[in-house]
Amino acid sequence: MTASPEAAIARRSLKQLWVGALVWSVAFGGTVAASALSYVSTFPTEADRQQVAAATSGDAGLSVLLGPTTAIDTVGGYTVYKCFVFLTTIGAIWGLLAATRLLRGEEDAGRWQLVLSGSTRAPRATAATLVALLGAVGILFVGTTAITLAAGRDPDVGFGAAETVLYGLSIAIAPAVFVMVGAVASQLCRTRRMANSWAMAAFGVCFLVRMVADAGPDTRWLRWATPFGWTELIQPFTENDPWPLLPAAATVGLLAVAAVVLSSRRDAGSSVFATSDVTPLRPFGLGSPVGLAARLDLPVLVAWCLGAAVTGLSFGLIAKIATGSVPQSLGDTLDKFGAEGSFVDQYFGVAFLLAATVVALLAAGQLGAASDEESSGRLVHLLAGPVRRVTWFGGRLGLAAAGIVVAGLLAGIGAWAGAATQGVDLGFSTLVGAGLNVVPTALLVLGIGAVVLALAPRAAAITVYAVVIGSLLVDLLASMVDGLAWTAHISVFHYMALAPASSPDLGTLVLTTLAGVGLCVVATLLFVRRDVALG
Amino acid sequence: MAHAIEIEQLTKRYGSVAAIDGLDLTIEEGEVFGYLGPNGAGKSTTIAILLGLIRASSGSARIFGRDVWREAPALHRRMASVPSEANLWPSLTGEEALRFLGNVHGSVDEAYRAELIDRFQLVTDKKIRAYSHGNRQKVLLVAAFASRPDLLILDEPTTGLDPLMEQVFQAAVREAAANGQTVLLSSHILSEVEAVCDRVAMLREGRLIETGHLDVLRGLVALRVHAGFDRPPPDLTAVEGVSRVTVEDHSIECEVTGSVEPLLRALADAGAVRLTTREPSLEELFVSHYGAGSEA
Repeated sequence: MTASPEAAIARRSLKQLWVGALVWSVAFGGTVAASALSYVSTFPTEADRQQVAAATSGDAGLSVLLGPTTAIDTVGGYTVYKCFVFLTTIGAIWGLLAATRLLRGEEDAGRWQLVLSGSTRAPRATAATLVALLGAVGILFVGTTAITLAAGRDPDVGFGAAETVLYGLSIAIAPAVFVMVGAVASQLCRTRRMANSWAMAAFGVCFLVRMVADAGPDTRWLRWATPFGWTELIQPFTENDPWPLLPAAATVGLLAVAAVVLSSRRDAGSSVFATSDVTPLRPFGLGSPVGLAARLDLPVLVAWCLGAAVTGLSFGLIAKIATGSVPQSLGDTLDKFGAEGSFVDQYFGVAFLLAATVVALLAAGQLGAASDEESSGRLVHLLAGPVRRVTWFGGRLGLAAAGIVVAGLLAGIGAWAGAATQGVDLGFSTLVGAGLNVVPTALLVLGIGAVVLALAPRAAAITVYAVVIGSLLVDLLASMVDGLAWTAHISVFHYMALAPASSPDLGTLVLTTLAGVGLCVVATLLFVRRDVALG
Repeated sequence: MAHAIEIEQLTKRYGSVAAIDGLDLTIEEGEVFGYLGPNGAGKSTTIAILLGLIRASSGSARIFGRDVWREAPALHRRMASVPSEANLWPSLTGEEALRFLGNVHGSVDEAYRAELIDRFQLVTDKKIRAYSHGNRQKVLLVAAFASRPDLLILDEPTTGLDPLMEQVFQAAVREAAANGQTVLLSSHILSEVEAVCDRVAMLREGRLIETGHLDVLRGLVALRVHAGFDRPPPDLTAVEGVSRVTVEDHSIECEVTGSVEPLLRALADAGAVRLTTREPSLEELFVSHYGAGSEA
């Protein structure tokens, strides 16, 4: 029996994907289940549900930020609303990163060329990889649906089987479409980094168009323009409209065909868009290893800092609408995160928890770049020269720490500027302080990642993702499910005061910072003692 | 003459496997030293220890009298190296990579660098990602030679270079030697080692099996002798030191180890009219050390 080369390619690709897909499907299913179960316990009576629905439905601010607010008086409607932004965002980003990794990433590493030197051709190998990527989306769909079905068996929740499957499909739209966006970007762009930027830009545009579509009745038709809109239009558990699946399936099909056709029209290792390989000398950053790291990572650092600023700004802009008229029950829900004080304070407290996630994840990219420099063999050129190991390692960590401080600062300034334009004045120092309040926690995450970088470099970035996303999920679950409250202690965010809702304790801030810096020092000591990977 | 490199009982273990095992080696200042061995023999491991990139399990390695691990950064000011894998920063141009490597090293002979760029025919305004493997290797070679270090450590530095560039490389090594610089050249290309090295060491499975001047090493391997006769050739199989005898109509070919006197006497007695001898090439030397083991 001889297996076709395409089957082997698909199998190998799926092997690289299935663990991640399974982990995310559990996270997705867990989030959905937690939302549904917390709703029935927080708003047990019809009157409670009517009250929260009256306050939130038709609220443009919440709708722009979080999506569909039309059926919050039902457990299904609330669950869809509560999980919408989280699941579509993570699903889309996971999908596009997976596609660029398996297509352009493999090509960057030269492995794709090896595959093509076998008895297959570029379009067939691309198609096989796309099949594996859709298989991974399938795993995500099955896992999410299965856990939702299990939660739906609770009589208070009471989700039907067919509508749960439809909900699962609506969640699978974003990853399926953005897998294909990543696949097309991988054909168009010369490097994985560039393909990621283009695919992320497409994601950003879709995200903004969806926000505009939810801003009011005049722009509602724009919901038909993006994958996020299609997910929203299905309205699972309430309207159960399957028609938006049609444009989603058509888009997936069209983009897949485009990726396969484009792959046949270019040379391996090149791209459809030619970029010039001849450029004049740019002396910036050539003076030292840290200078070069800053030069090479500057676009990523700037993008991350801008992301933090935009996150702060958008929370600030809608602060007034979001906090204008809310029922006490919603305030009680936020209370469970540890946010106290007035509702505006609570709102910003939780907003800065999300900003902290963005700021802390900055460390992942920087540690990933450092690990890449070592595993590619480029670090050898520095350490075989007169560069001290402490200088290189410390410089890399210093660069990441500087990025974290700037991103925290910008998140605070952004939130203040956004809120000030709406007449919500919490004071510049309060919100900038709240922005800087996330820095020690992000430094702690950097320290944890640095120790992993010193011991097992390839695991550093993934550890940071696991710590940050894991902590956020633990925080979410611990605040929603009473029995899981104890788990909050393992979340790094547990030790961060939700400023401005609760005032940061100076002692905790200093201790957290010291822990982060201490871990960085330990990591440096470990690194100077170990063997360097030789590439 | 002072020692450039002193290695004593150097061992590097990965778990139960010894990549190098009790290595002793001394390289003098100003020498061009060839470091030979098949894949996996431990050449790159030795070099990584000398560069302070990995730590020896036991034994010691010193360069210019200083410990290679503890005093690495200070030592590296007097050294330059070229690894076999030419991975550079893909988004930099060749010129930018050379500037960066020069700034990191701290000392560059700008005029010599410009001359080397010209001799290696390196196009420097192209991005590294558009370079072939050979061109990336040239960037590292130019950076290493242009820093005019006291010690050059070259680990298979010419993989990917065409024969013309190989000649340019050999000329640069000879210039370095003429300037009194020490060169450690690990290589698979035996003609290259033969052309530039004074002494060589041969490594197998982490152990040194031979060290010495090329001439001396050649003496350890049989000399090939071809003799012509105007009558049927004699039977030489019983002559001391002679082996692998092949006889044709009026000629005989054989190998001789040790003293050639018994063979010369036998050939003279038999009335030989022509005699040619050929020294073994390094390749034959190499095969006699490594090939025999694999044939056995």
